[in-house]
Amino acid sequence: MTLLERDPNAPVSWKGTLPVTSRYTFGLAGERFFRAIKDEGRILGTRCPECDITYVPATLFCEQCMAELTEWVDAGEIGEVHTYTLLFEDMDGNRLSQPEIIAFVRLGDGGLVHRLGEVEPDELYIGMNVEPVFKPAAERTGSILDILYFRPVD
Amino acid sequence: MGMRKVAVVGAGMTKFVRRAQETGKELSWEAVRMALDSCEMTIDNIEAVCMGTAPDAFDGLHMKAEYLSDGAGAWLKPYMRSYVGGGTGIFAPIQGWYHVASGLFDTCLVVCEEKMSSFYPHAQAAFLTIFDHTTERALKPNLLWIFALEMNRYMHTYGVRKEDIARVSVLHKRNAADHPCALLGEPDITVEDVLNSEVLAWPVQRYDVSPVSDGAVAIILAAEHVARRITDKPVWIEGVGWCLDTAYWTNRDLCYPRYVEVAARMAYEMAGITEPRKQIDIAEPYDPFDYKALHHLEGLQLADRGQAVQLYIDGTAARTGNMPVCPSGGLLGVGNPIAAAGLMKIAELFWQLRGEAGARQVPGNPRRGVAQAWGDLMQVGTVVVMGR
Repeated sequence: MTLLERDPNAPVSWKGTLPVTSRYTFGLAGERFFRAIKDEGRILGTRCPECDITYVPATLFCEQCMAELTEWVDAGEIGEVHTYTLLFEDMDGNRLSQPEIIAFVRLGDGGLVHRLGEVEPDELYIGMNVEPVFKPAAERTGSILDILYFRPVD
Repeated sequence: MGMRKVAVVGAGMTKFVRRAQETGKELSWEAVRMALDSCEMTIDNIEAVCMGTAPDAFDGLHMKAEYLSDGAGAWLKPYMRSYVGGGTGIFAPIQGWYHVASGLFDTCLVVCEEKMSSFYPHAQAAFLTIFDHTTERALKPNLLWIFALEMNRYMHTYGVRKEDIARVSVLHKRNAADHPCALLGEPDITVEDVLNSEVLAWPVQRYDVSPVSDGAVAIILAAEHVARRITDKPVWIEGVGWCLDTAYWTNRDLCYPRYVEVAARMAYEMAGITEPRKQIDIAEPYDPFDYKALHHLEGLQLADRGQAVQLYIDGTAARTGNMPVCPSGGLLGVGNPIAAAGLMKIAELFWQLRGEAGARQVPGNPRRGVAQAWGDLMQVGTVVVMGR
C-alpha cells in the first residue's frame, strides 16, 4: 500500500466542518492604540505609575495591580530587537527563496512581534535599534499591518 | 465534612449589552475592578482566580480563558477555568468555593465572561455543531428546535397553557427594568406582547427567549476568618451541588429536570434544608426560556411537577410575593451572556441578602436564596444555596 492509499479496512466516514466566523472589536484601549497608528503613525503605550510599567500595546488596565490606566505615552520611534528568528519555510513547508525575519521589538516594557526589513540576516543582532516603517497614511486601515516592518536605525 | 465556611464578600458586574465595544479582557477587568472596590480589597489580597466562560467559539479565540486571564486578575496566581456550558456561571463559584472550603486558599476571585457578539452572524451558529454528527446533524438542528420540542412536551404533559408560561417572561422582564445592567428590562410588557411576538419554532416565540449578550460578572470568596475582617455582612455559601444527566437528550425526561433535582438535593443537604419551599426566601432559577424557569423551579423542589406556573399566577413569584423568583430580572430580562448570566444570579443573591439590591430589593429581610443554572448538552444542573 502506498502512502496515499487509504486503509481499505478503515470505517466508512464522511466529512463535516465546524464553521466559525468572528468579528472582533478593538476594545477601548485598542481603539485609541490603532487610531494613533492609522492617523499619526505613532505607537502608544499606557503607563501604570504605581507599578512603573509602560504597556505596549496600550492597555486599559494594569494586569499587576488592576488599576485603570489613563496616562497615555508615546512609545518612542526606536525599539530594540529583543530576540528574532529566521523563517525558512512557509506554512505549507515550502522552502522560501529568502528567509523572512521575525523579531520581538521591545517598546516600553512590552513591544510588538513584527517583521524586519531593509536588513540582511547576517547583519542582525540582538540589541539592534529598529524603527517602524508605516504604510502611506492614505493606505492605513487601523491594522497592525499598517506597520510594514521595522528597519535598522542608522 | 471538614470543610471551612466560605462567604461571598464582594461582587461586581458590567452592563449586559448586545454588542460591547470592550474586548473580553476589558469586560472581565471592569467586573473585577468593581468587585474589588465593593469590598475595599486589592488584587494582592486575592490568592487564586477561577474563570468561568463558555465555548471558545463565542469570543472567537481558542484557549479563551487563558487569553482573558490578565483581565481576570490572574497574573502570577493559581488560575483555573471551568466550563459546563450554560451551567458554568453557577459552577465557577462552586469551583471557587472548594478552592477555599478545602483550606487551600483563604480568598478566591471568581470571574465569568462572555462576548457572544463576536460570533458572526449569530451566536446560535456555535451550537450547530454540538449535535451528533451521524444521527442528528444531517437535519441541521439548532437549540431552538430542542427547546421547542421540550416546551411542547411539558405543556402537553401537565396541561400548562402558553399564556400562563408567558407570565414568566413578563415578570422577569418587568423585574429587569429595575436593574441598572439590564439589556431587556421592559416595565410595561404584557402577556399579549409575548403571545404576539414573532414565532421562532412553535411554541417558542421571540419573547419566550433570552437575548444573546456581552458582559462579565465577578465575585470574591473568602474563608470565614478573612470574611469577618472584610465585612460585617458576609453572605455564606451554605450548599453546592451539581449533576449530569445522560448525554443523549432523547434518553432524558423532557418534562422534569432530574439533573436539577439531584444537584438541588446535594446542595440542600449540605445547607441543612429539609423543606425548601419554607426555607428558601428567594429563587434565581435559570431562565434562558420562560418555560425553563418553571422546569427548574420544579427540579429545585420549589413547586410540584407541572405546578410552578401557579407561583406566577398567584403572585408568589412576584418581588413582593412569598418566594420571589428572579428578582434580578433573570436571563430573560437582564440578558444572557452565558457564563456571566449564571454568576449574575449569585451576585443578585449577594446583593438581595445584604439588603443592597436597590429598587430590586425584596422586602422582609430575606435570609436565604438558591441560584441554579443548566447547560452542557442540556444535561447539567448546577445549584448554590446562599444565606446570611
